[in-house]
Amino acid sequence: MSEPLLVLDNVTKNYGAIEALKGISFSIGRGEVVALLGDNGAGKSTLVKIISGGLEPTSGRMLFEGKEFLARSPAEAKAAGIETVYQDLSLCTNVDVVANFFMGREITRKVLGIPVLDERAMEAVVEKALATAGTRIPSLRTNVEHLSGGQRQAIELNRFVHWGGKLVLLDEPFAALGVEQTRRGLDMIRQVASQGIGVVIITHIMQQAFQVADRIVVIRQGVVAGDVARNKTSPDAVINMITGETLAGAGPAG
Amino acid sequence: MNPRTRHALEFVLDNLVWFMLLFVLVVFSIFIPNYFQLGIFANIIEASSVLGVMSIGLALVIIAGHMDLSVESVAALSAMAVGILFCSSGIGLGVQLHPEWLMVPVSLLLALAVGGLIGAFNGYLVVRVKMSAFIITLASYIWVRGLVLVISGGRSAQDLAPAIRWFGIQRLAGLPLTAWIAVACFVVFSLIMAKTPFGRHLVMIGGNETATFRAGIRVNRNLIIAFVLAGAIAGLAGWLLAIRTSGATANLGVGLLFNAFAAVVIGGVSLKGGVGTLPGVYAGVLLLSAINTAINLMGLPANFTQVIHGLLVLAAVLLDAFKQTIRQRLA
Repeated sequence: MSEPLLVLDNVTKNYGAIEALKGISFSIGRGEVVALLGDNGAGKSTLVKIISGGLEPTSGRMLFEGKEFLARSPAEAKAAGIETVYQDLSLCTNVDVVANFFMGREITRKVLGIPVLDERAMEAVVEKALATAGTRIPSLRTNVEHLSGGQRQAIELNRFVHWGGKLVLLDEPFAALGVEQTRRGLDMIRQVASQGIGVVIITHIMQQAFQVADRIVVIRQGVVAGDVARNKTSPDAVINMITGETLAGAGPAG
Repeated sequence: MNPRTRHALEFVLDNLVWFMLLFVLVVFSIFIPNYFQLGIFANIIEASSVLGVMSIGLALVIIAGHMDLSVESVAALSAMAVGILFCSSGIGLGVQLHPEWLMVPVSLLLALAVGGLIGAFNGYLVVRVKMSAFIITLASYIWVRGLVLVISGGRSAQDLAPAIRWFGIQRLAGLPLTAWIAVACFVVFSLIMAKTPFGRHLVMIGGNETATFRAGIRVNRNLIIAFVLAGAIAGLAGWLLAIRTSGATANLGVGLLFNAFAAVVIGGVSLKGGVGTLPGVYAGVLLLSAINTAINLMGLPANFTQVIHGLLVLAAVLLDAFKQTIRQRLA
């Protein structure tokens, strides 16, 4: 593999005396799908927030495209090309689908030098993106509060597929989705990765990890307890890494 | 339900307060003698200009999910600052500028700056120090009014410079220029809220602040701007108030805050944030003013106004809940 997209080097995070992350090191390549697994409280979400600019690490460093990288805000991470889909949905339910899709990145045209929202252009883009992904939403002008949980999650998934960037972080993205929508979501992830975008997906469902990931990274008690290629391991071996029955870095098993 | 009726119903729901205003005007025109006159309608608009301008700033901050209780006191302080400098009797210093028209921009800028500064102070404490907007602006409501009393010594300034007074006297199509200023403010800020990224971001911040932060919107910056705008707009309201009363008294504008609140809520703005539009707020302001005028014309004691305003706010909140249920059925 050529130079990795993102390298984490001994990243730690303390909350007061509590060490949430004790030194995480791993890397993600371009076009690679990495599944991040671990028990509740292992530090997965903390790690995602550090990469996406929601939290600052206590120590350690990150290299993004070979350059020293630290996002102080989600805006900085976004500018660098890192998209995140959070566990609790990041939608504003009081505005419509189009406004959510373009949140913070609205298309504007200048009227007398003042930026004015170009609603028609934005609606056309959303319509196309949703149609491509096969998501059906009755009206793009309905406020999101009137949509179902599945429709909301679909909007969020379509949003990251559309904006792409260079690296996508997904924190349990399928929690509210049905079987068919989950399958489509996993397809979307492969499709995104095939464009050369790195993907990190956090999930609790072993089957999903094995369906979609190239590599599986297990975090336990704030350290990397395993980092193996999918085709060199098995669900049972991974479960052992998560619960701690196998020594860290035990590699191929089963 | 076919799309046509659905659209029509949504249109009615979105503009409910305008229909209420229309209804009230029709009812008053039929049942109250002398109500149906152009002069009366002009008076309704004229009487609501100060309240209207103040409500804009309050609505901006509430839509963004916060609160500004200080607008009334800020308006009073701005009015007092203009009064002290440009009034010729009472505690007025009677400052003269040449040419005379120069007093207009200077006094206006002074009022906006006083308001904007207090707004920035409020915004800084709320956003950066992360204190509750309710408490911070309640404190400002008290200390700014106190400052008005301190700098005026409890006395008043009278006889505002004629060059500034001119805005309250000169009429265009039956309305004084001050009323046109209020209308223009509503038009400009309605456009900003509905058509620009800044306005869209404020609405979204009011809806889900975390989501907007994650989406890379500069939440803190936008919120501070909203507080500064609310302050500056309150300053403008104070300038209009000074013109209207041709000076300033220490208790100028007392009680306006609650009317502004009533107007904002009646206008369909949710105190939870993220919901409401400025045209609705203007309809709310006009509705209050229409009812006041009716009370005057019927010769009822003015004390009834407050009872009716209170009931109206209650009705508005109930109506809002009712609208929510209908909308849920529509979706």
